[in-house]
Amino acid sequence: MAEPAPILSLKAVAKSFGSFIAVDHIDLDIAEGEFFTVVGPSGSGKTTLLRMIAGMEQPSSGDILLRGERINDVPANKRPTCMVFQSLALFPHRTVGENIEFSLKIKGERKDKRKARALELMDLLRLPQSYYGKNVLKCSGGERQRVALARALAYDPQILFFDEPLSAIDSKLRKTLEKELKDIHRETKKTFVYITHSLEEAMVMSDRIGVMRAGKLVQVGTPQEIYSTPNTRFVSEFIGDVNVIAVDVANDGSLNSASLGAKLKPPTLPSGMASGHLVIRPEFIRFVTDSSMADNTVTGRLYNEYALGSRIQYQVRVGEAVFVVEKLRQQAFTGRLDDIVTIGWDAVDSILVTD
Amino acid sequence: MRRPARLSPGSKAAVPVLLFLLVGFVAPLIAVIWFSFMPPRSFSLAAAPSLENYTTIFNSTSYISFLWSLVLAAATVVLLAVICFPISYGLVRVFGKWATLLTLLFTIPLFVSENIRLYGWVLFLIKNGVLLGSLDTYFGIELESILFTRTAILLGMVYVYLPFMLFPLTLGISMVPNETRDAAYDLGATRWQVFREVELPLSMPGVVIGFLLTFVLAVGAITEAKVLGGQRIIPVAQDIEIAFTYAQNWPLGAALSVLLMLVVGTLVLLALWRFDLDRFLGRK
Amino acid sequence: MPSKAQRLRHGLITAWTLAVVVFIYLPTLCITLASLTSSRYFQFPITKFGLDWWRKTFSSIEIRQLLSTSITIALCVTVVAVVIAFFGALAFARYDWRGRSIYQKLILLPIFFPQSVLGLALLLWFNALGLQMSWQTAVFAHLVWIVPVVTLVISIQVYSFDPALEEAAFDLGATRWQVMREVTLPVLFPGLFSGALFAFLLSWGNFPLSLYTTGADTTVPEYLYAKMVAGYTPGVPVLGTISTIGAAVLLIGGYALMLAMRRARRTVSE
Repeated sequence: MAEPAPILSLKAVAKSFGSFIAVDHIDLDIAEGEFFTVVGPSGSGKTTLLRMIAGMEQPSSGDILLRGERINDVPANKRPTCMVFQSLALFPHRTVGENIEFSLKIKGERKDKRKARALELMDLLRLPQSYYGKNVLKCSGGERQRVALARALAYDPQILFFDEPLSAIDSKLRKTLEKELKDIHRETKKTFVYITHSLEEAMVMSDRIGVMRAGKLVQVGTPQEIYSTPNTRFVSEFIGDVNVIAVDVANDGSLNSASLGAKLKPPTLPSGMASGHLVIRPEFIRFVTDSSMADNTVTGRLYNEYALGSRIQYQVRVGEAVFVVEKLRQQAFTGRLDDIVTIGWDAVDSILVTD
Repeated sequence: MRRPARLSPGSKAAVPVLLFLLVGFVAPLIAVIWFSFMPPRSFSLAAAPSLENYTTIFNSTSYISFLWSLVLAAATVVLLAVICFPISYGLVRVFGKWATLLTLLFTIPLFVSENIRLYGWVLFLIKNGVLLGSLDTYFGIELESILFTRTAILLGMVYVYLPFMLFPLTLGISMVPNETRDAAYDLGATRWQVFREVELPLSMPGVVIGFLLTFVLAVGAITEAKVLGGQRIIPVAQDIEIAFTYAQNWPLGAALSVLLMLVVGTLVLLALWRFDLDRFLGRK
Repeated sequence: MPSKAQRLRHGLITAWTLAVVVFIYLPTLCITLASLTSSRYFQFPITKFGLDWWRKTFSSIEIRQLLSTSITIALCVTVVAVVIAFFGALAFARYDWRGRSIYQKLILLPIFFPQSVLGLALLLWFNALGLQMSWQTAVFAHLVWIVPVVTLVISIQVYSFDPALEEAAFDLGATRWQVMREVTLPVLFPGLFSGALFAFLLSWGNFPLSLYTTGADTTVPEYLYAKMVAGYTPGVPVLGTISTIGAAVLLIGGYALMLAMRRARRTVSE
C-alpha cells in the first residue's frame, strides 16, 4: 500500500550560530493531518527548528519542502503556515474580534465577511460571541489561548505551529487546554506541529513524537513507542520517574549489576551489546514475599511513600540504589515505613537501552 | 531569547541618531579641541598648534573659577543627596497612590526655564522683596539680603538641579525588591544593617546616575551665579562665555572648555563604563 | 519592626517632602505675585494691585513675536526629535546588535554634559562653519541635547514591547510596512507621545542652548533674561507666569490624555 506523500519534509536541515550548532542535520517527514510534537529540554534546538520551518529563521544548510516544493526562500508572510507563539503575541491594542480578523484584514476582505468568519471560529473554540468586542487584555489565560488559536486558524494555514504556548499556564488549566487542542485538531483536520519540553503533554495530544537533544532527533515514534520502547536512557528518563540500573552483559546472557551486586534476567538482548542500562517503569514493579514470585527480585527498606492522586509512589532503598514503585490507590501496599521489603519485576517488563 | 543578527535592523536603526550626533556633538567638540591649540585671540584654524592657552590658564586666575565651579558642584551634589534621599524613599515606599501626583509636581519645574525660576528667588530675597518686605512691614524686622552672596548661588544651584538628583535616586531605590528587604529583617538584621547590606548596594545604580548627572550639569552652571550671585563668583562657564564673546579669545575659551570636558569625560567614563543600562531603564 | 517608629519616620518623610514642594514652588508664587502689581517696580507687600501688565503683555506685538519664535522652534524640534529618536530607541532597546552597548553609552554623552558649555561649543562650531545664527541653528542646538533624551524616553516603552508581536503580524501575511503601521507604531504610541511631549517642553523652556545659538532671533526665556538684567518691568513676571502655567497645563494635559488613552484600550465595548 503506497503511503501518501508527506506534507512537510526536512532534509539535512541544520542551523548554527557562529560556532554553536543549534540544529544538527535533521531529516524528518510529517504526514498531512498529523499532530506531530517535538519534545526536548531547553537548548535542544526545538524552537530553532520550528522557527526555520515557519520561516522566521533561515537554515544554514538543508532543504525544507512543503508538498515537495522547496520553501527555504519563501518569507514567513508568504508561507501557507501560521504560528501560535509562546507569549501568544496577541495585539494588545485590538479587541478579540480584531485580533482574529487580522489576517483577513490584511488580505483585504470585507468587514461583514471578516466578522462572520471570526464569529464562526469563536464558536469552534468555544468563545462566547459577546467577546467579539472585548479587549484582549481583559481575557483570562485560557481565553487568550483560544483567541490566539482562532487568529491562526483564520489565516487558513495548511500547517499550524505551536511554540510551547501552554508553558506559562497553571497545571490544571493546562490539562484542560491540552485535551481541547486535541479536539480542535480532530475537527479542523489540519496538520499541527507542536513543541514542548514536557513529554507528558506531548503524549496527551500527539499522533507522533520526536525527541530532540542537542540539535538531533534521538527518537521518533508514536507515544506508545516512546513510552514503552525508548531507545536511549535520555528518552526513557524524559517521562516521570523511572528506574535505571547500570548493567554489564555477562557471557551467559544475563546481566550483572555492580550497584545491586546481583545477576538479573534480561529481556531480549540487542545483539552486540556489552553494557548499558536496564530501565523498569515504576508500575511494573511489585511487592513480593519471596523471590520465586518474579523474574528479578531485590530486598531493601521502605523509605517513604508519596500520594500522587490516583496512584501511590513508594521509595525503596536497596543499598545505595533507590527504587520507585507505583501502585494504584485501591491496591496500596500495607507495609509500614522502615520495614524490610522485597520488590520484583519480570524481565519482559524491562528494557535495555544505551546511554 | 533574542536572536543575534548580522548587519541587522539594529545597526541600521542606529544610523540616523549616530549621524546626527556625529555632526552635532562630536564635530563641535573636535572643533573646540582643535581651537584650544591655536594661538590666542586668533580665529583661524590653520596656525601652528601650541599649548600657550593652557599655560595661560594655569598661570592666571582662570583656574580659580575652575576650582570654584568644581567646589560648588560638589557642594550641590552633597546637599542634594541629603535633601532628596528622604523624598525618593517616600516616593517609592511611603506615599502610595500620591506618588504619581508628587512626581508630576516635581517634574513641572523641569520644563520652566531656569532663569525664570531663579528670578523668582530674586524677587523673594531682594531688599523690599517678598521675604524681607513682609518681615519689615509686618514684623518690623530689618535684615540684610542674602542675595548676591555665595550662599545665594549655592541655593540657586540646589534649587535648579534638584530633579536631576531626585529622579535617578527614586529609580534606584525602586530597584530594591521588597522581599529582599523583608528577608534580611527575617534573618535578624537591624534597620541600619539592612540599609547598609541590602538597600544601599541595590540602589547603587540610581545613586551613581544621580550623583553623576547632578555634578556634571552643575559644573557647567552659569545662570545661578549671574542672576543670584552678582559676580561674587565667576564660574568657569562664565569665563568661557566671556572668552567667546567680549574678550574675542576663542582659543582660550576653547582650552577652558577642553579642561572642563576632561573632568566631565573622565567621571562619565569611570561611572558608566560597566553600567547596565538595560536593567536600569527596562526592568523597573 | 515597631510600627510607632515606622509611623514617626513616615510622618517626618512626608513633612519634609511637603516642605521641599513648597520650596520648589515658592519662586513661582513670587513671580505670580509680582505680575499682579500695576506699578512699574517690584515692591513687597504690593500696594497697587492691578492686571495692567497682563493686558499690556497680551496686546504686545513684540511678545507675540517671541511666543511665535519659541513655539516654532519647539514644534520643529519635536517633529525631528521624535522621528530620529524612534529609530534610535529601536536600536537602543529592541534589537540585539554588536555595537549596542557602546551605542547606549554614546547616546548618554550629550545628556551628561554641561549645557552652557555645549551651547558655547555649538556657537564656536557654527561660527567656524560660517553659519549665520538664527532660530534654525537654535533648533539644531536643541536637538543635540533633546534627541538623546527622547531616545531614552521612547526606549523605556520599547523595553516592554514584545518582538513576537511583529513576528506574528508578519506570519499572518502582513508586509513589513503593514507590520509597522498596524502593530509597531500603535503599540509604541504612548512612548512616542511622551517623547513628543518631553521634546516640546524641553525645547520651550530651554535657556542655555538658545542663548548662544539663536542669533538675532529671540525666544521667550532669552527675552526674560535680558529684561531681568536691565529694563525690568512687571511684564517680565507676567510672561514668566504664562510660561510656567503653559508648561504645567501641557504636562498635566498630556498626562491626562495618556491615562484616557490607556483606559480606552481596556474598555469592554459590546
